[in-house]
Amino acid sequence: MLEFRQVDVRCSFVPILNDISVSFQKGKITTVIGPNGCGKTTLLQCLNGSSKVTSGSILLDGTDYLAMPFKERARKLSFLPQVRTIIPALPVKTLVEHGRFPHLGFARRKSKKDNEIVANALDFAQIAPYAAQYADTLSGGIRQRAFFAMTLAQDCDYIVLDEPTTYLDLSGQRAFMEMLLQLKAQGKTVILVLHDIGQALEISDMLVIMQDRKIAAAATPKECLRQHIIEEVFDVRLKVFSDEKRSYYFFY
Amino acid sequence: MQKNLHKNLRIKIPFLVLLLILCALAGILLGSVPLSPKNVLRCLAGLDKDSTTYILVNTVRLPRVFGACLAGMGLATAGVILQSVMNNSLASPNTIGVNSGAGFAVMLTLMCSGSSTAMRLPAAAFAGALFTTLTIFGLAYMADSSRTTIILAGITVSSFLNAGINTIKLLDTDITVNLTTFMIGSLSGLTFDSLRFPAAAIIAALFLSFLAAKSINVLNLGDDIARSLGLNVTLVRLVLLILSSILSGCVVSYAGLLSFVGLIVPHICRRLFGNDARCLLPCSALLGASFVLICDILGRMLFAPFELPAGVLMSFVGGPFFLYLLFTKKGGRRVNA
Repeated sequence: MLEFRQVDVRCSFVPILNDISVSFQKGKITTVIGPNGCGKTTLLQCLNGSSKVTSGSILLDGTDYLAMPFKERARKLSFLPQVRTIIPALPVKTLVEHGRFPHLGFARRKSKKDNEIVANALDFAQIAPYAAQYADTLSGGIRQRAFFAMTLAQDCDYIVLDEPTTYLDLSGQRAFMEMLLQLKAQGKTVILVLHDIGQALEISDMLVIMQDRKIAAAATPKECLRQHIIEEVFDVRLKVFSDEKRSYYFFY
Repeated sequence: MQKNLHKNLRIKIPFLVLLLILCALAGILLGSVPLSPKNVLRCLAGLDKDSTTYILVNTVRLPRVFGACLAGMGLATAGVILQSVMNNSLASPNTIGVNSGAGFAVMLTLMCSGSSTAMRLPAAAFAGALFTTLTIFGLAYMADSSRTTIILAGITVSSFLNAGINTIKLLDTDITVNLTTFMIGSLSGLTFDSLRFPAAAIIAALFLSFLAAKSINVLNLGDDIARSLGLNVTLVRLVLLILSSILSGCVVSYAGLLSFVGLIVPHICRRLFGNDARCLLPCSALLGASFVLICDILGRMLFAPFELPAGVLMSFVGGPFFLYLLFTKKGGRRVNA
């Protein structure tokens, strides 16, 4: 379980997150949703140090996450940030191999096992055919899957993704949701930010809804629907259609 | 890619080593007084200790070749490091004003202390280089500036510091340094004595830079992703900036403001050998050394018995190349990683 306890984040004395307490259960898919600027990205950035936690603590399976050395953190939890400031001019395979960085030391070089993990990650993200191509020459969708594969190559129990579907088209998004369910079936814990609430309701075991830099609710999708939290927070109305297979959500 | 890396290291590095050895031999043999290979070999083997060849080789040519190698290695490596740390393809010890900072510190030390001990100059140059690097980096980081802004800031800072160098020279006529050759960079008159301390520092810094290659590769993915992969971005940046300051500062302390090695050699190597720092660093160091040697030899040969400082030839070659980089998008893009 990943647990935020009374976490504060300040950026040059301006509070960005205030007294956030929330927990993410092991082996589940938890989606963080909320209107723009509500602090979703900042919350996740606490996990790689891009946002500095000024007070409070984060516990990962009961141990103090923020006290761990950076590389150890990156062996337990892999986080794919949303913003791409740089598009590396590297072959896709090399990019994915960087995911092994936290596992390699001065003395330890890449072994057969590392290469297997990289190959599996390429296969899983369905980009093996692009392995030799340069990332900066690829389309946004394939590039995004290359970064996703890099995150998978970190081979962590916890996988955190900030708006992973931004660069993907509709069928790409559907395929991606399938991948997330497969990861869950493998026993991984998936935490992600999504903007498509319909998708979030469909695949999540738990929803964390944020509003105005606070946690508005943390509950199962069913519970969130029952209490009309989503309608309230996003200021929309929701209509649910169901057939025998599944439910369809329509916001207006 | 692992295979490619090994292929690179196995084929290209020996080739570059061979090139460097050839350049070094040429540097010993050629000059205003050409020496015969046979005599030189005898001298290198420790024979004929009284001959003029022996004296020429040991007190003039060898220190000069050694100094040129280290200057090329140091500046080219510093260039690779700065380009990675600043994520900017146009960064180099020269373009961001680091060399000028070191040069200013050298002149200041000469003015204040009069006589220069062997250790004081490199130390002052390092301090000047580090101070300038941190200033430029601070500006770039705080303002989140575009790559052109950083270079413009660097040019401004370096012209400011060059003005300082000129002022000191004009005010204090006792300074023994020849201003023209110092500003453009020259390797004439080097002795083993003056090289001892900078050489040790440069070799140590080169070694440490090569160890940091893997971290440089991860840093090139951008701060956010590097952090996610468990790299202590702030610490690695600081260490790399210090290393690049040691490298360029020490070179400036004995060779003056050699320009363009730190810019064009990394770029040539990126094109030839790719962006992987594990290959790029050693290749740039080797090619940089050869490049400085070739420019120095040409400077000695072209208008013999007059001598052009190595820096002049570098600017002749480097200037047009820099323009080419500025005006082609490809030169910039390939680097940003």
